[in-house]
Amino acid sequence: MKLIYPGYDVLSKRHSQSWDEPTRQVIDARLAIGGAPRFLNEAQWQTLDAVCQRILPQPIDRPPVPLAALVDNKLLNDRGDGYRDARLPPLRQAWQLGLTALDAEAQALDGRGFTGLTAAQQDALLSAMQRNELKHSVWKSMPCVVFFSHRLIHDITSAYYAHPTAWSEIGFGGPANPRGYVRMGPDSRDPWEPMAAKPGAQRKAEKRNRHVG
Amino acid sequence: MSDDYLTDALRNPRGRDGRAPDVFRRGGWVPMREYPDDELVDFVIVGTGAGGGPLACRLAEAGFSVVAFDAGAWWRPLEEFASDEAHQEKLFWTGERLCDGDNPLKLGTNNSGRAVGGSTVHFAMVSLRFRPEWFKSRTLLGYGLDWPLDWQDMWRYYTEVEQALKISGPVRYPWGPKRPRYPYRQHEVNAPGLALARACEAMGIAWAPTPLATVSAPREHSPPCVYRGFCVTGCATNAKQSGLITWIPWAVKAGAEIRDLAMVGRIETGEDGLASGVHYHREGEWRFQRARNVVVAGYAIETPRLLLNSANSRYPDGLANSSGLVGKNLMVHTNQAVWGTLEEEVRWYKGPPSLSLSEHWNYEDSGKDFFGGYAFMSQGPLPAAWAGAQTGNHGLWGQALVDEMQKYNHQVGLKIVGETLPQERNCVTLADERDEFGLPVARVTWSECDNDRRLVNHAVDFMRRGLEGIDARDIWAEADGTAHLMGTARMGSDPATSVVNADCRSWDIPNLWICDGSVFPTSGGVNPSETIQAIALRTANRIRELARRGEL
Amino acid sequence: MVSKTRLDWLALAVTGTLTAVSLVWQHREANRSSGSRPANTTLIHSARRLNRGAGILAGAVLLDSAMEHYRGQFENRAMYTPLITATLSLLASSKGFADLTPHSGKLRNGIYIGTVLTGVAGSGFHLWNVTKRPGGFGWTNLFYSAPLGAPAALILSGVLGHYAERLRSETRNIVPRVLGLPAGQSMALMSAAGLIGTSAEAGLFHFRGSFQNPAMYLPVTAPPLSAVLLTASALAGANRPHLRWASRLCLRFTLLLGVAGACFHALGAARNHGGWRNWRQNLQAGPPLPAPPSFTGLALAGLAAQRLLDEEQSVKAHYLGWHP
Repeated sequence: MKLIYPGYDVLSKRHSQSWDEPTRQVIDARLAIGGAPRFLNEAQWQTLDAVCQRILPQPIDRPPVPLAALVDNKLLNDRGDGYRDARLPPLRQAWQLGLTALDAEAQALDGRGFTGLTAAQQDALLSAMQRNELKHSVWKSMPCVVFFSHRLIHDITSAYYAHPTAWSEIGFGGPANPRGYVRMGPDSRDPWEPMAAKPGAQRKAEKRNRHVG
Repeated sequence: MSDDYLTDALRNPRGRDGRAPDVFRRGGWVPMREYPDDELVDFVIVGTGAGGGPLACRLAEAGFSVVAFDAGAWWRPLEEFASDEAHQEKLFWTGERLCDGDNPLKLGTNNSGRAVGGSTVHFAMVSLRFRPEWFKSRTLLGYGLDWPLDWQDMWRYYTEVEQALKISGPVRYPWGPKRPRYPYRQHEVNAPGLALARACEAMGIAWAPTPLATVSAPREHSPPCVYRGFCVTGCATNAKQSGLITWIPWAVKAGAEIRDLAMVGRIETGEDGLASGVHYHREGEWRFQRARNVVVAGYAIETPRLLLNSANSRYPDGLANSSGLVGKNLMVHTNQAVWGTLEEEVRWYKGPPSLSLSEHWNYEDSGKDFFGGYAFMSQGPLPAAWAGAQTGNHGLWGQALVDEMQKYNHQVGLKIVGETLPQERNCVTLADERDEFGLPVARVTWSECDNDRRLVNHAVDFMRRGLEGIDARDIWAEADGTAHLMGTARMGSDPATSVVNADCRSWDIPNLWICDGSVFPTSGGVNPSETIQAIALRTANRIRELARRGEL
Repeated sequence: MVSKTRLDWLALAVTGTLTAVSLVWQHREANRSSGSRPANTTLIHSARRLNRGAGILAGAVLLDSAMEHYRGQFENRAMYTPLITATLSLLASSKGFADLTPHSGKLRNGIYIGTVLTGVAGSGFHLWNVTKRPGGFGWTNLFYSAPLGAPAALILSGVLGHYAERLRSETRNIVPRVLGLPAGQSMALMSAAGLIGTSAEAGLFHFRGSFQNPAMYLPVTAPPLSAVLLTASALAGANRPHLRWASRLCLRFTLLLGVAGACFHALGAARNHGGWRNWRQNLQAGPPLPAPPSFTGLALAGLAAQRLLDEEQSVKAHYLGWHP
C-alpha cells in the first residue's frame, strides 16, 4: 500500500512538547499489549485473530497492530461502554457467544472452522452476519447483526484506531499537550504535523515527516 | 513507572480529611469544610454536573450547609488527563445500562459523564441559549408543551452563566433577540468551521462562530485554548470552563462539601412524608446522610433511576411520582450528520470540534414539514470516533474501511442538534439486572416518532445541499446517532402533568428538588448545558427567596 | 496562573512607574535644554530622531511580518516583500541616524519611498485576504485573518524616514516647510495620525483579548491622548507652555509604554499553556512581541516634532517681537 504520509511516525513526537507524561504512560501501556490471549480460549482466539485480519487488513511491510490481543485485553478488563443494546448479553458473554457462533456457522458451511475458510469465504460469512442472515441455533437470542455492529467491528476498529500505527497511517497529529496547534485554516500545517506526499514530492514529505518532533 | 496513578481517582476518594484536590496546581490541595453524616445539613445534592455544580456553589454562597455527592472521581486535569480517546473513557458513565425501543440509544460518550463536574468535564463546550418561543412552544409554535418559565427571566440567568464561565462568543450573534456581549471574544474558526461557513454562504443563510465555554484569552487560572482538539475527552489545560474548574472550586471555597466516589442509592423519607436524607455508598460501605432538603441532579437517566429505586410503602411508585411521569418523556437530540471529502487539507483534529454553527432552522419556521428546530455545527472527530461513524453508520469494514479512513485529513461534516418531541413511551425504567452496588440498572427505551424522522430528513437534505455547494465529494449521510438527554422529570404548572414546578421543587414532596436536564418539558434544538446551568442558578435564587420568606 | 487582583496591581504599578520615569526624564531634559540651540542642529537632531523612529518601526515590522508570514507558511511569494523592505528601511534608518550632515540621502530617500509603496500594496493584499474569506469584513476576519493595520506600520516607517530626509534639506530656511506646512506642524500631525492608527490596531487586538489584563487599556488610552495633545500644541500658539509640557510628558510615557508593552507580551506568552517551554506555539499564538515597540518609534517622531514646534514657535515669537 502506498503511504500518504511517508516517513511519518507519531511516536517520534514522544519526547516533544506535543506529548505529556500521562500520555506517554498510557501509550506505553498500550504498546506493551500483545502475545497470547489472557481471556479467550484458544479456539475463540484463533477465530478472533482471523476475523481481525478481515475486518482490518494490515500491510505486511510493517509490524501489525495486535488487534486480537487488544480485544482480548478489553475483555480481560471487562470494561463496558456505558450502554448495551438489550438484545445483547454483557460484553464477555457476547464475544464468547459470537465467536463460537461464527465458528459454528463456518463448520456448518464446509466442516472446518472459520480459520479454515478462504479469505473470500470469510468475507462472505461476515457480510452475511452484517445482513443479519446467520441464524444458527448457537446464536441463541442474540441477533448476529447486533453483535456484528455493536461488538465485532466496533471493538476491533476502536482498538485499531486507538493505536499509534493507525494514527501515523491516516496522518493524525496524535497527542497534543501542552503543545496544541497554531495553523487552523485549510491547507495549513504546523511543522509538528505530518505532511502528505504530493505527486513527485515524496522525498520532501519524507524529510519533513522525519522532523515532526 | 506504571500508569496506575492515572486512574487512582477512580479508586480513592479525594474529597476527605478536610481537604479537596486543587485542580489548578499539581499535587495541590485546598481546605474543604466537612459535615458528619448525622448532621442535618440544609441541602444534599446528588450529582455535581451542570445542574448540581452551580446549585451547590450558589447555595453555599448563600450560607446554606451543602453536601454534594458524585458517583464519579475528582480528577486533576493537569496531571491525569492523557491526550488519548481510549484512556479518557474514564470520564464517561460506563456502568451498564440496557437500551431498547425501536432506536436503542448509544450512551456513554457524548451524553453522560461520571465525574465531579459531570458531563461538563467532557462536553464540547457549545453554549447556546434556547430560542425564546421554545419556552412557550405549545402556545406559540403549536407543539410540545409550555414551560412554566418566562424567557426574559431565563435570559437574565443565561447572561449570568455566560459571565460566570467567560463564554467566548461572537461579537454579534445573528439569531434571536439582542443579547449582551459575550465576556470573551470568538475563537478563530478552523478549516472545518470555515467549510460550514462557506456552505451556509452558498445556501444563503447565516452562520456564526460557536459560543464556547473555553477561553480565547487568559483567565485567572485558565490559559487560552491551545486548540489541541481533545476537548470531548477532557481538557488537560484547564482552558475549558467545566464545572470541575469553575462551580466546584467556587462551591468548596464557599463552604460546600463535595463527596466524590459516593454513589447515592436511595432517598429516605420520614414519617412526615418528607425526604430525610440519602443512603450512599462510599469507601466500601453504605452510609446515611441526614438532610433538610434533597436535590436530585443526576441527569435524565440517573435521576429517575434514583427516584424510582427510592420507592417505599408510602410512595410505592417511587418518589415525586404521583403523576406517574418520573422516567417518562425521555428526550434526546438527533445527531445526524452529512459527511464529505474536500480537495483541500482540512485536518479537523485541530481546535474544538464545533467552531462554527448555524441556528437558521431554529429560528426559521417556514419551509418546514415538521415541528421543532435544529442547529447544525462543524465537526472534528478524533480517529476512533470517526472510525465509529464509519463502521456504525456507514457499515464499512475491511479494505473499504482502511481506504476511507485514509481520507481523514480531507474530511468535513455538518452535524445537527435536532429537537425530538416528548413521548411517554420513551422512558427510563428499572431493569432486573443489578450493578456493582446491588442497585437495579436503568433500562432506557427510545423510539423516534414521525416528526423526529421528518426533521432529520429535512436536515440531512439541507446539509447535503450545503456540502454540494462547496464541492465536497463522496457525500454520505449518517443515518442514526443521538446526543444529550432530557425529560424524565419534567417541570410544569400542573401537578397532574409534571413532576416539579418552575422552581424545580417536586409537587409531592416539598423538600425534594430535581435540578438537571430531566426537568426539560421540551428539548429545543440546541445543546442543553447552558440551559441546565441557567435553571440551576434560577433555582438557587428561588430557594434563597423562599427561605427568606420562610417557605422552604 | 495570575489572579485578577494581581493583574490589577501590576497594571497600576506599571502605570505609576512609567509616569514617574517620564516625569523624571522630562525634568532632566528641561534642565538640559534650558540654553538655546541653533536651529540647524535642531533640524538635524530631529531628522535623526525621525530616522530612529523609522528604524524602530521597520524593526518591529520586520520581526512581526517574519513571524506572521511564517505562520502563514509564506504561501504567497509576495509575503517575503515586507521582510526585504523592512530590512532595507532598517538599514537606511541606522545610516541616517549616524549621519550628522545637513544633506538628504538620495538612496535612503528612495528606500523610504519604496517602503511606503510596499506598505500600501500590503494593505491592499491584506484587505483582499479579509474580504475573500467567509464572513467577509466581519469580526472573525478582522481578528484572525491578515491584520489590516500591520502593513500600515510599514507605511509609517517609510513616511517618517522620508520626512527625515526632507528635513535635512530644509536647513537653510528660517521656518522650514515640508509638504506645505511648517515642518514641526506637519510632523506633529503625521505622528499623531500614526499614533491614532496604531492605537486603533492595538484596540482591535486587545478587544479580541477581552482586555483580560487591565494594562491592555494603556495602549488604547495613552497614545491617543498623546496624539490629541500633540495636535493641539501644533495648532495652538507659542504661549501654551503647559500644553506642550503635557504633550511631551504623554509622548515620553507612550515611548516607554512601547518597551513595557513588549515585556507584557512576553508575560502573556508565558501565561499561555506550556509557557516559554512551548515557545514554538506560544511565540506565534501568544501576543506578538514586536508589536508594542511601534509606539516607541512613533513617540520618538512625536517628540522630535514637539522640539521642532518649540523652535518654530520661538522663531515666530522672535519675528513678532521684532516687528510689533
